[in-house]
Amino acid sequence: MELESFEEKLTQMTKPEVTELKHQDMLAKSIATAKDKSVLSWWWLSIPLYICAALLMKSFFMPQTSLVSNLHNLTSKDKYSSILFFLVLPIIFAVINLISIRKIYFLSGNPNTLHFLESVWFNILIIAASIIILIIYSL
Amino acid sequence: MHLPWFKRIGIFFVPTSIIGWLILLAGFAYAVHVCIDLNSRSHSVSDFLINFVFSLLIIGAVYSLIAYLTSRTAK
Repeated sequence: MELESFEEKLTQMTKPEVTELKHQDMLAKSIATAKDKSVLSWWWLSIPLYICAALLMKSFFMPQTSLVSNLHNLTSKDKYSSILFFLVLPIIFAVINLISIRKIYFLSGNPNTLHFLESVWFNILIIAASIIILIIYSL
Repeated sequence: MHLPWFKRIGIFFVPTSIIGWLILLAGFAYAVHVCIDLNSRSHSVSDFLINFVFSLLIIGAVYSLIAYLTSRTAK
């Protein structure tokens, strides 16, 4: 009798289930952190982007000048702040966002391209903006 | 100090504590001060707007940096 009841108990017993995997939690956290970082990057990169837009408008208003010549004038006047906004910040934020994307990619395992792009599109946008600023500065 | 002081909604950090609200108010007060100061020194509306938007972006960037650093919970 005892043996039968034990067998019944065994059949009733279920395997221990982990509803939330540690890995899933880590992935969710890294996506949230990457989004926070991309927002911070966006605010800081908006400064050089705004300067570029202002200089571009100036070049339209004064046809004898161009965006590049206006930027060279600014660089000669304000050497350190232009290096900070057009060289240091874009490099730092491009690297930070690249690291975030890499971390999400590795935590996702073998992610579906569409889902992966959906979660990191803002980071990619920030990297593209950083590269554009660096190209404009290097002209 | 009990973190987080801010939470992110979209591209903005919204205060969730009294200290967060104080930081936001300080940023807003500084923006008003910059606005009054620039208005007294500007020669035209465009001159004022170009400089004021630039100052606003710098205030927003510094605010977002503070908010980012204080929006993380302790591990």
